[in-house]
Formats: sequence, C-alpha cells, structure tokens
Amino acid sequence: MIRKKNVAICLLMISSMATAQMDDKKFSVSGTMGVTYEGYGLTRNPAGWTGYTPRRPWNQVRFSFMPNFQFGKDFSLPFNINLAALPTNFAGPYSGFIPGGPKQSFKQWITNPVNSIAVNPKYKWGELQLGTQYLKYSELSTGDIGIFGAGFDLRPKTYRIKFFTGTSQPGINYYTGPPLITGAFKRNNWMFQIGREREGKYEVAFNFAKGKDFINSSAPPPLSIKPQEGFIASLVTNVFFDKGWYLKLEGAQSTFTKDLTTPTTLLIKSFEPFIKSHTSTTRDYAGTGSIGKKGKNFDLGLSTKYLGAGFQTAGYPYLQPDRLDYTLNTKWNTWKDKSDNYRMNIVASLGQRVNNISNTTLSAKQLIGNLNWFTQFNDQWSLNVNYNNFGFQSASGLNPYGIKNVSNDLGFSPTYSWSNSKMMNMLSFSYNYSKYDERDVLTGLTTSNNTHTALLTYVPTYFTKELTPDFSVMYFYNDVPLAKTTLVTISSGLGMPVAKKKLQLRGQLQYNLVKLNAFKNDNNLIASCSVDWKISKQFSWNTYLSTNYFKYGNAILPIGANYLETTCRTGFRYKFDTKKK
Amino acid sequence: MTKKLILAIAFLYSGYLAAQIKVNMVLSGRPPASLTEWANRKDVLTFIMGESGGQRFDVKLKTEIKTLDGTVVGATNLNTARPFSPLPAGSTILGALDVLPLENIVFTGKYLSAMQKTGKLPADNYMLCVQLLRVPDYAPASDPVCKNFYLTAYQLPILMIPANEQELNAKVAQTAITFRWTPVVPASSTPVTYHLQVFEILENQKDVQALRSNQPLLDKNIIGATQFIWQPQLGMLAYRNEKDSLTTLQEKESDGNVKGKKFVWTIQTLDNSGQPLNPAEGNGESRSEPHVFYVK
Repeated sequence: MIRKKNVAICLLMISSMATAQMDDKKFSVSGTMGVTYEGYGLTRNPAGWTGYTPRRPWNQVRFSFMPNFQFGKDFSLPFNINLAALPTNFAGPYSGFIPGGPKQSFKQWITNPVNSIAVNPKYKWGELQLGTQYLKYSELSTGDIGIFGAGFDLRPKTYRIKFFTGTSQPGINYYTGPPLITGAFKRNNWMFQIGREREGKYEVAFNFAKGKDFINSSAPPPLSIKPQEGFIASLVTNVFFDKGWYLKLEGAQSTFTKDLTTPTTLLIKSFEPFIKSHTSTTRDYAGTGSIGKKGKNFDLGLSTKYLGAGFQTAGYPYLQPDRLDYTLNTKWNTWKDKSDNYRMNIVASLGQRVNNISNTTLSAKQLIGNLNWFTQFNDQWSLNVNYNNFGFQSASGLNPYGIKNVSNDLGFSPTYSWSNSKMMNMLSFSYNYSKYDERDVLTGLTTSNNTHTALLTYVPTYFTKELTPDFSVMYFYNDVPLAKTTLVTISSGLGMPVAKKKLQLRGQLQYNLVKLNAFKNDNNLIASCSVDWKISKQFSWNTYLSTNYFKYGNAILPIGANYLETTCRTGFRYKFDTKKK
Repeated sequence: MTKKLILAIAFLYSGYLAAQIKVNMVLSGRPPASLTEWANRKDVLTFIMGESGGQRFDVKLKTEIKTLDGTVVGATNLNTARPFSPLPAGSTILGALDVLPLENIVFTGKYLSAMQKTGKLPADNYMLCVQLLRVPDYAPASDPVCKNFYLTAYQLPILMIPANEQELNAKVAQTAITFRWTPVVPASSTPVTYHLQVFEILENQKDVQALRSNQPLLDKNIIGATQFIWQPQLGMLAYRNEKDSLTTLQEKESDGNVKGKKFVWTIQTLDNSGQPLNPAEGNGESRSEPHVFYVK
C-alpha cells in the first residue's frame, strides 16, 4: 500500500515538473540506444575431454537505451536501461541463475545486477532517483551496491539532502542444484545524507545508511549465509585551500549484526531506534584522512585509512576490516627542454599496511612501494624505469615459522624513435625482472619464484598512408621449484580505414609457444579482428571476431588435446540528439 | 553422642555425594574465532550432564573462560542464567548455545572491549571451565570440567598484483598476467584452496556489478600457492584513442581518452571441504576485497 502511494507521488511530481516546463517548448532528446549480440563457441578434442571449460555464455543479447529528455532549461528526464537476455551470474547469491538453471522470478530479474532500469527526473536542484541506482555517498558508508528503489538528491544552494531506499537483494531460495544456488535473504537498504557543499571549496556531510535482511524471505534459506543487519553513521569533511592544498577526512561508526537469529543482548550497546544489539553484534570505528597539495607539476600527499576489526557496512560488502594503511604519494615533473616541456616525470608511493589492529588474529605487516620514472632524453631516446615492492610478514602462531612473502619487480623500458619524410618509427624494448620469495611456515625454507619478461615492439607510422601496423616479440620465463615455464609470443597488428574512413578495420595475429619443463611445446594461435562501420553520423555497426586455437604438447593427458574457441560480438548503436538536427 | 553426630554427618555427606552429577565436555582445540559461531557448529562443543541419581533439582551452568594463567576473562551471570533440570536417570546433552550463552556472559577489561568491537577474543590460548551449581543456593552440583583451546581468526588474502587500478601493457598482458596475493593468516593446518576469478567489466557496468553478473573469464582453483600466471588467450586488440569510438568494450576517462579493457579480480578462500573459510565474516563468501586493472 505504502509502495503504491510512493509510486503515485513520484509520478505526480514528474508530471507536474514536466507540465511546468512544457511551456518553454524547448524540448530535446539525446542519448544512445543499441543492441549487441555475443556468440561463443568451443570445440574440444578428443571428444569427451573436458580439460578446458567454456568461459563466456554461448549466446547473449544485450540491450541499452539511455535517452535524456530535456524539457526547457531546467527539467531533464534521463533514462538508463541496460538489459541482458540471459542471466550469467557465477559469483554471489545470484549464482546459479544461468541458462539451464532454475528460472528467476520477476523481482529477482529486476534486481539482478546483470540488469538495470533507472530514471532520474531532474528539476533545477532537485533530482528524483527511481529504479536501480549505484549511489556512492562516501568512502566508508555506502557505494558498491546497486539498489532498486526510490529516493531523491536535493541540492538547494550549498545544501545537500539525499535519501534513497529500496531492495539490494531479493530473497533467493537455496537450491541443491545443479547448478547450485547459494541463496540469499531479502535485504532492504536505506541511506540518507545531509550536508553542505561548495564545489572546489568545501564539503561537510553526515551520512547514515542501513541494510537489513528478512529472516523468512527465503525457503529453504541459505545454508552458510546468515541474516544480517547493519547501520553506519559517518561524517565527511573535505576542504580545498588555495594553491592546491587539500584536507579530506571521514570518520564512521558501524553497528553490525552478523546473525539476526542470535539472541538480543543488553551487554552490547544498541543504536536505537536504528538497530538493536544481538550477541553477534559488533560495533567499531573507521576513519580515512588525506592531506596534500596538487599542482601542475608537483603533487604530494599523505593518506591514511583505519578500519577497526568489527567495522562492517552493508554498502561495501567486500570491505576487509582490521587494518591501518598509510601512504606517501608524490608526482613530479622536472628537467625542461628548450620548448619548456618537461622531460622527466616521477610518480612514487611508499606505504605500509598493518593488519590485525585488534589482535584477534596474528599480526601482519605489508610494505608497499612503487616508483615509475620516465625520462625523455631527446627527440629520439626515452627511458622508463619502474620498481614495485610488496612485502608481507606475519607472526608464526602455532607454526614454527611465520609467514614472509616478498615481491620485487624491476623494469626498464628504453624507446628509440626516428623519422624521415615518409614515416616515423618507434622501437621499444622492455625488460622486467620479478622475484617473489615465500617462506614455508613448517620448514622455514624460502622458495624463490623468478620471472623474466622481455618485450620488443616496433611501430611504424606512415605520414602518407593510413596503415597502422605494429610488430612485437615477447619472451617470458618463470622459474619455481619443479616448474620452469617459458612463453614466447610473436604478434602483429594492422589497422586501416576504408570506404572514405567510414569503415575502420583492425586485425591482429598472435602466436604463442608454451613450454613447461621438458615437456613438448604447447602451441597457440589467436586471430582477431574488428570492423567498425560508421553507417551515418548517428548510426554505427561494430563487430569483433576472435578465434583461439590451443594445442597441448604432452604436458597433460590425453596427449595432443586441443581446443578451438571462437568469439563474436556484433552490435548496432544509434546516437541521437534532436538539438543537432 | 559424638558417634551419632559423625554418623549423621557421614549420612548427609553421602547423600550429597550421591547428588553430585558426573559431567563431561568435548571441545574443539581450535574453535571458530567468533564466539557466536560456536553455536552454529555442532562439532565445536558438546557438554554431557549425567543423571541426578533419582533426585529432582535444578542446576545452572557456571561457565568461565580463562587465560592459561587462570585469569578469568568472562564468566556467566548466574542471576540471569537459564536453569536446567538433570534427568533422574539418563544423560542430558547440551551444546554451545547452552554452555556459552553470550547474552549472559560478562567479559572484563580488554576482553570486553574486544568482544564488543569484534565478537572475538584476542588471539591466544584459553581454557573453558564449566561447573553445575544447584539452584537456588549455588552449591556445587558437579566438579568443574576444563578444556583448553586456541583462538585465532583467519585473515583472508589481500590482493597484491595487479594492484588496484593498475594499467598493464597490452602486449605483455596478451601473453601472461601474473596474479599474487597474500596467504591466509595464520597458515591453516589443512591446505586451503584459493578460488581465483577474473571478470571483464563491460560497458555501463560498475566494478562490483560486473563481479556479480558476468561469467568469469578465469575461474581457477589454486591449492596452497599464492601466485598464478594466467595466459588470457583473449587477443587484446589495441583500442583507437578516439573520442567518438563506438567499440563497445571501451572504458573511457572523463576527457574521452580510452583507458583500455577493464577487469575485476578477486580470491575466494575455501577450506579443505570446499566451503568458504570464514563464513561468519564479512560477505559470508570469504571473498577478498576485489581489485580492478586495465589492459591498454
């Protein structure tokens, strides 16, 4: 009943706003619409061999319709409709809704993340949000999930008032399969923001967000997943000063119940009326902060993020808590040439992540360092050097030795360019050495995993021809105890416009040789091409075709196993804009 | 007179002894770190309360969690604890929900703070002691039974490379993309399986939306190791750096420049029976925070 009322109110508001603006008679429509077909084929030999599994849907059709109806200056009605003909969910609660599996209900279809239907009518500073929305309020409150529902975003002067409520997950029954459906409880969410903002100057906002599962919404219920409830309150403060200085802060507190079937308790403080504590409720804090200066040729910033061990929000379901990150970032342009262009660009960051602030698991530290240093010595020569380090260490616990994994990557990429009156040539070489050390927690022995990668690329550019070819050779060698893998790739691409540049053709041929230890080589040939046909200014037809033939040597059984994989993607797209007529 | 008194005391004491209930407890040496999770797993704790020797009376369970030096970390609030009636003949079997009712366990000091924030105790060795007390005088109705256990939460892998938002050279990525992640901490006694999945983010899709709606291009189980070299075999064509390009696979920056194909990857950590390692935590699927990377 309430839902019907809400819909009626929304429709009334839209119609009144539209009527108010029709007098202006400045109506226009712009946007895109399209349909794309994706086909996939896989032939495996010998018959019955299943060593390689399909990795795309056999057939898929996607529709998109994204018009924006503009009524006068102040009122717009943008639609965002993206639909897929077949469900293709493999991760999360919708997994199992694949062709051949059980059919989804209408509610499940409309909230399935593979589809989205939304309309956001906007009048001056007020916007209604209807349908599936992916709204990001802040880094800590909500931002990763799509919710099907209704809400608004009001921005009178410097004020910001936002609200949205709906369903992020319908009830999905557990199904033993095949295919297995993990199932899910129905989850309703709401979010609210109030604050003030002057773009480029400051932003202060309070965020509140809640998600709650309904215990009886699926039958049979999921086996491993528990009904949850979470509430979060956060305060965001961003200030932008003169000369590029900025300060960004957010503090948040979450109250999250991991299992709504556990008994309620008075021993853990509730956040009523928003959430009542159960024995599985945790309440913890999180904070982010960054300070720095952004300039045209010099950036410097210090950022930190703390997530308490019990910090959890329904708006970021994959967030990993219990950590403290701090990073120092810089970007620097220097060494001017005669034309006052900078020849050198340095991007670097150094930071540390400390896991287990709560001490509920073993302590672990991770060092993160990156450096990318580019230098243009002269018109011909340039050099790029990059270095990455990731180190991870933790205490031993019940094992004799602690975990210690260290990854070091060092790369050099010199490039030489030369030209004459007809063409320009670019020859680029890059070499990367990667060393990854892992300590065994039982023996204390460290195993090294070394990788060498070398790539040579030649790209000629003709001044008088439309051809754009490229050639490359790559060598990859990975050495771990008991496994030495060598990959060699030769590839070449060619692009050209035809039919007065209405048709853009591009093709690529790639041959890979794979060798594992003393086994016979695997051979792989990939051919792909794309055809982009601009039928008119508004209408285009794009096609992409790819075929991949892989033949194993004798590293796996049956000897000589092979597969042929084909991909076809073709689609029409129409861009429209009545203003341009 | 003295003899009579001694006899009377001996008689009363023997009656009291007859009312002592035999108890036994089976506790996993490494139960789940989240104490609420104990009740969901039948293999974690079993408490056997013996017969009452024909007598009828109620008892309450006095449960204490102690560190190995005997410091009490948390104990039952007997006033609000639920009474049980031992069977006159026959045993009663109780589970974690009865023995460790968290709504009646009062934790102290830093342990209280840890429980309120995380639902877990700090990683350490602990002892669980349970004794039956008669209602209403709280006289001991059994000997205390104690079992040691080790608590530590599993920390799921953190994705290392490709780093979040990293751009990979298409000429290298078309041959091999190396994935690395941190191992589960602490190292599990049985090998864990890292379920590595890579999804392409299609046009008009958000990162997590792609993960939840697309078929993975790579779907691989890796036992024990924390590195995988993927040969994508995707034929990654270079994209045209053109504002009006209509190729449907492109991800554009706000200025119209093409950023390349976009992928999202994650690790799901499974135990030796193929189930999520940390079902009580986070999203319930034991999936690590996903990262995106570009190929251009």
